[in-house]
Amino acid sequence: MILDLHTHSDASEDSRAPVESYLKWLVRKRPLLPIDGIVLTEHRQWNPHADYRALEDKYGLLILRGAEVETDYGHVLVYGVNDAITRRFDFTNVRLPAAELIPAVSALGGIAAPCHPGRPTIGLCAHYEDKPPLEGIVAVEALNGGSRRGENERVQQLIADHGYGAFGGSDSHLVSFIGICATEFECAVRTIEDLVSALQGGGYRPIDFRERLRSEA
Amino acid sequence: MAITIDRSVVGSEFDRTTHPPVAQTEVDAYAAASGESCPADGVAPPTFVVSLRSHRFMPKSLARLGRAGLDAGKDIELGAPIRVGDVLTTVSTVHDIYEKTGRSGPMGFLVLRTVVTNQRDEGVAVIDQRMMFR
Repeated sequence: MILDLHTHSDASEDSRAPVESYLKWLVRKRPLLPIDGIVLTEHRQWNPHADYRALEDKYGLLILRGAEVETDYGHVLVYGVNDAITRRFDFTNVRLPAAELIPAVSALGGIAAPCHPGRPTIGLCAHYEDKPPLEGIVAVEALNGGSRRGENERVQQLIADHGYGAFGGSDSHLVSFIGICATEFECAVRTIEDLVSALQGGGYRPIDFRERLRSEA
Repeated sequence: MAITIDRSVVGSEFDRTTHPPVAQTEVDAYAAASGESCPADGVAPPTFVVSLRSHRFMPKSLARLGRAGLDAGKDIELGAPIRVGDVLTTVSTVHDIYEKTGRSGPMGFLVLRTVVTNQRDEGVAVIDQRMMFR
């Protein structure tokens, strides 16, 4: 099963991509992009009332939701967001304490995983240069579709040094970027609880469709 | 310089301007400048709304957001067409102010919303102007 674990719709202030347009694109590109679903990870927010079930039924794709928050160790994807997590952490705070967030999210039923760790300023690698490693990290986004040359490569050493699991996501802000990088799971993921369990348990790998898309073009 | 985010200003109106009637010469000049080769007679190109100059572009009493700022883009929701002779009113408010971090460090964003109506109280446009500061 293949999911794009890092996407932004027009609910994020820096994206103009409607969710339905992402789904239309994935259906149109199905042979090249065998994506089974996406996880919307809007910036610094969580809308408990968003409901995409009608779109899931219409397009036959899974839509799960998380959030991308900002911490003192860079940006972090949070999956399994619930009331307890949003009561404890203000997602609009761009200086959330990562050392507190990561174990707390886990204790409250979710998982918090650093994204684009190879980026300057907002990536984990840069913060590990002058701060101690964080406790409780299970996985990092090893493959990010928005990273520049060298940024994804930088993550390989981080993973080797700390034994983190590796997943991928497009970090799409534009319709045509959806699914370019994703994560292949050995197990079926149908719910956000499944996703949290799968990320905690292992049995997944990042997968890159960019070369395949370039070949088609 | 640290970025100061004061969300108490969100929602505050800082300008209300009623503009002189739209003149054909203004429409022609805008069309020529924007490359509109064949404007409909008496109707302005939709993005003509961004050429309106209100009394005040920024709130007067805004805490210093950073050392420098730049235009970070506009979203425009269009309504009724603008016709020559229309008297347009613009009302500007602070719509949002927030901070985020990017590759180059922390950034402050100010979103100024301008609602444009005509003399018939029809909605002509809602313009969200985003400014980035650091």
